Amino acid sequence: MDTFLAALFSGTSRGAIYALVALGLVIVWRGAGVVNFAQMGQAMFSTYIASTLIQNGNSYWVGFFVALFAGAALGALLDILVMRPLSNKKKTELLSSESMRAAIPVIASLGILGVLQALAGIIWAAEERGFPAPAAQEGFTVAGSVMPFTSFDVFVISIVLVTLTMTTIFFKKTGVGLAMRATALNQEVARLSGIRTNFTRTLSWAISGAASSLAGLLITPTSNLSPNTLDLVLIIGFTAAVVGGLNSPAGAVLGGFILGLVISFVTFYLSPEDVFLSILAVLLIVLIVKPRGILGGKDSRRV
Amino acid sequence: MSSTAKNPSIIRRSLRRTIFFTIAILAIGSTFEPYNQAQLAVVLIYFIGVLSVTLLTGISGQISLGQGALMAVGGYTTALLMTNYSISLWIAVPASIVGAGVAGALLGIAAARLSGPYLAGTTLVIALAIPTIANRFMSVFKGDEGLPVDVGYPPTWFTNFFGEPTYEEWQLYVVLPFAAIALFFASNLLLSRTGRIWKSIRDHETAAALTGVNYSRQKIYVFIIASIFAGLAGALYGLRGLVGPSVYPVALSLTLLTAAVLGGIRSIFGAFIGTVIVVFLPDWIDLVLGNFELSEQVSNFMPALISSLLLILTVVINPAGVAGGSHLHKHK
Repeated sequence: MDTFLAALFSGTSRGAIYALVALGLVIVWRGAGVVNFAQMGQAMFSTYIASTLIQNGNSYWVGFFVALFAGAALGALLDILVMRPLSNKKKTELLSSESMRAAIPVIASLGILGVLQALAGIIWAAEERGFPAPAAQEGFTVAGSVMPFTSFDVFVISIVLVTLTMTTIFFKKTGVGLAMRATALNQEVARLSGIRTNFTRTLSWAISGAASSLAGLLITPTSNLSPNTLDLVLIIGFTAAVVGGLNSPAGAVLGGFILGLVISFVTFYLSPEDVFLSILAVLLIVLIVKPRGILGGKDSRRV
Repeated sequence: MSSTAKNPSIIRRSLRRTIFFTIAILAIGSTFEPYNQAQLAVVLIYFIGVLSVTLLTGISGQISLGQGALMAVGGYTTALLMTNYSISLWIAVPASIVGAGVAGALLGIAAARLSGPYLAGTTLVIALAIPTIANRFMSVFKGDEGLPVDVGYPPTWFTNFFGEPTYEEWQLYVVLPFAAIALFFASNLLLSRTGRIWKSIRDHETAAALTGVNYSRQKIYVFIIASIFAGLAGALYGLRGLVGPSVYPVALSLTLLTAAVLGGIRSIFGAFIGTVIVVFLPDWIDLVLGNFELSEQVSNFMPALISSLLLILTVVINPAGVAGGSHLHKHK
């Protein structure tokens, strides 16, 4: 029973962070039609900025908010510099087919990831460094045994839940959110009805950048910070988004928690070596049953 | 599928390309010193792997970030045959493509239902998960230690005829026939009816279906063929010394994709150019950076920085790649 509770707690805490990563991916996919493999590279970059600020004697919260802002700015910058020129190339023959329109931005984002990791290596060297947590990392004691559940985990789960609620409200209740949903649905029609689609695309990159920076800030205290540490988080977050349905923010959150729990239970009951194979198994089972993810809607084709 | 046989001009064209390629590599390789001969062998190995990306992504529009996993399948098949049954590499390497082909068929059956980002994600997780099997079944695959294999020494008839080659030179000679065969088959496929069928899936699945193409089945064929190329590349890659999880990381899959895009994702010539760029770029950068006083921290990351920048610039400015310009005629 103790193992079960331990797995449940640590799975929920990790799952909250994966949900955040998945949400960032879904926002860019819906808003700009791009799967952003550079997302956790951006998060790594802004976490390094926070880490440098904190090492130079600033408080945790200065680093925290500067990192969120830097993540948003970097996301917007990448859209303006790389993705917007790319989307204007749709008229060329190479990008005329749907399959290549999906493939080419993926390749571009892999290039961005490479650039960010190399730059981080050049600026901050490649050695691992720790990252502070704003709350205690000693486990709570439940019925005499120490659980792997800390005040920091409570902090993580609550801040993630607040972010998820705020995002939902933003998309459902505000005018800008409505414009972004319209752009996601049909860019041409959105533009014809007066929505500045370039602006909403850049905005979705910025929001996703901030969300993933938050994920970076929340996950590095329990791992370490190096140019490559967040690669695995991206792959898990991406799997979460695909499992939940790339089109559905609610699905991303669901997928994040599913993945967090699966990883945690496999680690506790089987062995850490089986984690990736179990992720693959979950992914394949979900995609064979529902190719668009659990909450991804119907797979429709149109001529 | 067998229309290539009815069309001798295609075979003749492919054969001409292959012979030209082989002679060019032999001529260039003989002027190189051992280090660059080994690098050239890596170019040929990567070239086979990049051809699998060209066929899969460039020709039939299926993005894969997991070709490295299929390379691992090929590598392990060869290594197990060579170490456990002491089979000669000339039999073990061709046998490895059977293993890779079976893995590709399984992958293809799953992948035929997926498209775009879903496919990219699934293949990425495959690239991550497959090498961990080596640690799961320690007794067979020997975990992180891996299985040491190499190209061995040339047979006596070879040394009698051509003299004693250096180890690096022998590596090159072992790899070259396989690269030439891969080039021949890839060229045939691209020129033939099969190649046109795959292009039609890439351009519009529904339109292809309306002209009588069973695109689900064709996608599985594409995956099998591409896996065979990747498996062959992986087998040869392992013969450089070791077959282990660290030899086939996720980064390997991404390197193949980078090479394919840089050179031109739709052409065989582009695949070769891209491979040359990716393999020799670190050396070229070192050569240039040698003129500047840079700390190790900077120079270590320069090759990665420049090749990633090149990748972004290629995609944004000229997505058709170095070799792509003339092949793309507008048809809209």
